[in-house]
Formats: sequence, structure tokens, C-alpha cells
Amino acid sequence: MLVAWRYRIRENSFIQSFDPRAWVIFYVCCLVSTLSFWDVRFLLPFFVIAMFVLLTSGVKWHEIRRAFLFIVGFVFFFAILTFLTGRGGTEVYKQEHLIREFRASFSLLGWTPVLKITVERAFFAISQLVRVTSIAVMTILIPYSLNPAYYGITFKGLGLPDKFAYAMDLTMRFIPTFGRDFQLTMDAQRARGYELEKISGGLIAQVRKLGPIFVPVTIHAIIGSEDIIDAMDLRAFGVGPRTWLDVLTYQRRDRILIAVGVAILSASIVVGFMGYGKFWVPEALMGMF
Amino acid sequence: MDKKFTNVLISLVAVLALFAVVMFVLGAKEPTEGALFNFSVDQASVVSRFVFVVIGIAIAFGVYFATQANKAWEVGTREVVWMAIGAALYAVFSWLFNGTVFVVPSLSQVSLRPAIAIPMFFGFAFGPVVGFFTGAVGNMFGDALTGFGLSPQWSIGNGLIGFVSGMWMLFSDKKKSMDMVLYVSGALAVITALLFFMNRTQANMLFFDVDNGIFGDAQISLFAGIAILIGFALIFAVRYFFKNEDVATAVTWGMLGNIVGLLFASLSDMVINGFSLPAAIVGEFLPAAGPNLIFAAILVPMLVVAYAATRKQSGR
Repeated sequence: MLVAWRYRIRENSFIQSFDPRAWVIFYVCCLVSTLSFWDVRFLLPFFVIAMFVLLTSGVKWHEIRRAFLFIVGFVFFFAILTFLTGRGGTEVYKQEHLIREFRASFSLLGWTPVLKITVERAFFAISQLVRVTSIAVMTILIPYSLNPAYYGITFKGLGLPDKFAYAMDLTMRFIPTFGRDFQLTMDAQRARGYELEKISGGLIAQVRKLGPIFVPVTIHAIIGSEDIIDAMDLRAFGVGPRTWLDVLTYQRRDRILIAVGVAILSASIVVGFMGYGKFWVPEALMGMF
Repeated sequence: MDKKFTNVLISLVAVLALFAVVMFVLGAKEPTEGALFNFSVDQASVVSRFVFVVIGIAIAFGVYFATQANKAWEVGTREVVWMAIGAALYAVFSWLFNGTVFVVPSLSQVSLRPAIAIPMFFGFAFGPVVGFFTGAVGNMFGDALTGFGLSPQWSIGNGLIGFVSGMWMLFSDKKKSMDMVLYVSGALAVITALLFFMNRTQANMLFFDVDNGIFGDAQISLFAGIAILIGFALIFAVRYFFKNEDVATAVTWGMLGNIVGLLFASLSDMVINGFSLPAAIVGEFLPAAGPNLIFAAILVPMLVVAYAATRKQSGR
């Protein structure tokens, strides 16, 4: 059985009301634009767009909760790590204005832990949080809102021949299926007492013990492929030029969305070339420290 | 031009177009924390990386051109599905065994990559075209899923692993071709191992130092340096001490594929990243190729035997 990404048709979904190609173009434009800025003032509009898209997507909280919490937790973790260590931010700012310094009362092998809170670190953490959250929110919605039936048409649209477009389409569809098969095999082997986490022995023995996971998943996939091959042969796949079951046609609203996306991207590029959008800290705040 | 020639040419141009889109459009984006796929490519060296993608595909096309009458080049419905299955399996295994989902055993700086058995096996079982697609596209999706960003020349190198693994189909005399492959692979293994002994202080570029959070700071270990000789010895044993000819063919050609594909990828880093020859061979090629040979000797035979049993049962 083919397992799909968690897509379904949703009522009153803003994303799904557009042609998927128009949505993908708009998404790429927003993504590239967001990545061209470090200034939190320039990033905020993209954060607002991302929140608007999320809240109008029709995706229910219980569907997205796990992935969303993981990503938000991940983003927070790295923003805080950057804030505490100062790593990463040094690529976009050179000088730091110290707000406060905390020095530990103990030493480890001659090294005393010191935590410096600076204006730049604080603003870099905020900018990073806004920037990455905007991108992550837009990205996480793709598997929930893009119909897997359109993967092939997209690759065909990129200029690939039918056979390769279909192979790419199938590859994307098989990834979650095989992920599921791997988990099932893993569970079945665990029920028989197999513990991947506790593989022991010499190098060759360790590699050999991966077999009970590796071989069944691969051979099961090949056996399962016969059904797909039969189905494709029965539909005369590859005999002549391929037609796709769904035909995508741009509506007026799709063209508007593409135009808005391209306008945002163009404006971002122009603004970037003019030297705006780089890492920003309020001067008044710097003057205080 | 006949239809088959045109089809293969279009297919290779299509793969090139796909890489161009991924490298120049998707690759221009910075790595996105939390994104489903990460296709970022270092834009400072993107042109030289793309040149090596073209060279890799040109090598594949050159081999096809010289042997185009062979049936191994036919791409029908079965091959399309096997390409997709191989690429998806390689991507999933690469992601699951990269150390973030499951901690795969490692030994003395050598992290084990069981997924490499997939392009070797698919190349051997279903031909060079399926092998190439499995290695190249599977590695691309695997890297994107893992969040490492893309190194297109390494994806093509992985494609060449699958491609060369399927080249046994182009030779009428299986045994003679295997002996030839064994001599060539043995010579390359010895030469690269000699380079290791001449450059013992070279850093292991693929070793991730968890304590400092950086790649390539630790000096290459003895085991990582001679893993290619251990792998070669294992494959030599499989070739001569096991009776199954299919197993011997799969591991021998898989070994050559592994050496050729990874040599291609690591040597390309001399141009792309300005590495010296010892850095490319000792620092990159040996820690990657040696352990892969150990997998070729152990996991590929398991897959070949299981697949043969399945074919016997199903009659296909």
C-alpha cells in the first residue's frame, strides 16, 4: 500500500484555492526574499505572511502538532544556543555592546564559564527566530497541502521526459511508504528480540546484524513493485507520449499570486542591492551600552 | 539517430537539467532549519561543481555510446519503477542510518553507511541506468531529507557507483571481466593505501568531531586509512571462496563502482575546494570508500541471495 504525505482536501483553505504551480512559485519567491534579509523590520512582513498562510491553511492543530512543536522547539533551541554562545552571529556583526556579564564562581580545568549578554546577540537571536520560523511555517505546510498527484506534472513542467518525470514522481511517493515499511519491519524484528540499538560484536558481526532490517525492507519493496509494473503495463505506459489524469490550468487568481510573489522577490532583490536589510540593531539601544 | 540512442541522450540531458535546477535555483537558498528538504549548495563553487556533474554524466554517456547495442541500456516500465524504488530506498536508508535517527556503529573514526549497498545492488540486479538513477537521485533526496545540503558532484559519484555496478551486463565473459575488475580495483586500493602511509598526518575530512562540532580536525586513524585494504581482502575472499557466481559478480563490480564513484567525487574536490591530492585521497576518499567495501562484501551478497530466492519463487 502506498503511504502518502499527509495531504487531504481542506475546506476554505487559502493555499489549496490556488493552482499548485502558482503556490510553489509564490513560496519560492517568499523563501528567497526572507533569506535575503537579517533586519528584523524587513523580516516581520514575511512572518505575518507565514502566519496568515498557516491560519488560513485549513490544517488542523492535531494534524500538525507533532511536527510543528518539533520545529518550533528546534528553532528556539538554536536561537537560544546562538544567544548564549554568540556563534553564528559573528558572521553578520563585528562589534558587540555589552549589557551584562555573568561569570561563574567556579572553574573547570582552568576555564571559567562566562555568559555575555550583548545587544547584538539579543537582536540576532530575535532576527534568527523570526527568519527561521517564517520559512519553517511555510515549508511544513507543503506536504499537508500539495496533492501528491501533481508531483509528476511538476517534474514534467521542469522539462523532464515522461519516464523520468514519472520516476521522480514515484520516488517522492515511495519515500514515506518505505519509511513506514522500515518502521513496521523494525517493530516486527523487535518483537522477535532483535535490538538495533544494542548491536554488539566485531565490525563484520555488527554489519551482518543489519541484515534483518535491510534485506526484508528492500526485497519487500521489489516484490511490491510488480503490482505497480503490472498496473502501468496494463495502461500501456511508455508506448506513446503520456497524458496526465489531472490537467492544471492557471486562473486569474493564480496569475495574481504569481505576480505578487515575483513583485516581492524583485523588491527584495532591489532593496538588497541598495544595501538595506542587513543585520540591524536600534542605534538608541547601542548608545545605552 | 535511432530511438534508443535519442531516449538515452534525452534522459541524460534531463538528469543534467534536473541538477541545474536544483543547484542554481533551489541550491541558492541557505540551509533552512526545520525544513523538510534542504537543497542548499555552496554558491561560491557552484559552477565548478556543475562542471563535475557534466563530466560525470559525460563518462556515463561515453560508456553507453561505446556499447549502445547492448540490452542493458533498455529503459521500459520495469526500469522506471525500479529506478524510483531504488532512489527512494537509498534516500530513506541514508536518512535513517545517518546517525541522527539510529546510531549506526562506528569504529575508529569510521562511520558505517549501510545504505551504500542499495545502489550497488540495484545496479547489479537491474542494470547501469537504474543503478545510476538510484545512486544519484537517491543521494540527492537523502541529503535533502537529512538536512546536510547538497554536494552534487558526490551525488553523481554515488550515481557512478550504481552505474559501474551494472556494467557487468556489458561483458559477455563474466569471469574474465571479474578478474579484470579485481586487478584494477586491487591496484587502485594499494596505490591509495600507499598514499595514506606517505601522509599519515593528513586530517580525516569526513570525521565529525562531536566535542568541537566541526569536520576534519582529527588526524586520520590507522583503521580508516587501511579500511580499503580490509574491504578488498573481504571481497577477494567472497570472489574466490564462495561458489555463487552472482554474488561474486555483484561484490566485485560493486567494489569497482565504489572506487570509481568516490574517486571521481573526492578528486573533484581538488578543483572545487582547492584540496591537495593527499587531502582528497587520504582525507576524503579512504574514509568513505574503505567502509563501503566492507558493506559491499557483507550486505550486497545478502540482498543478491534473497533476490534470487524471490525470483525463483515468483518466476519473474
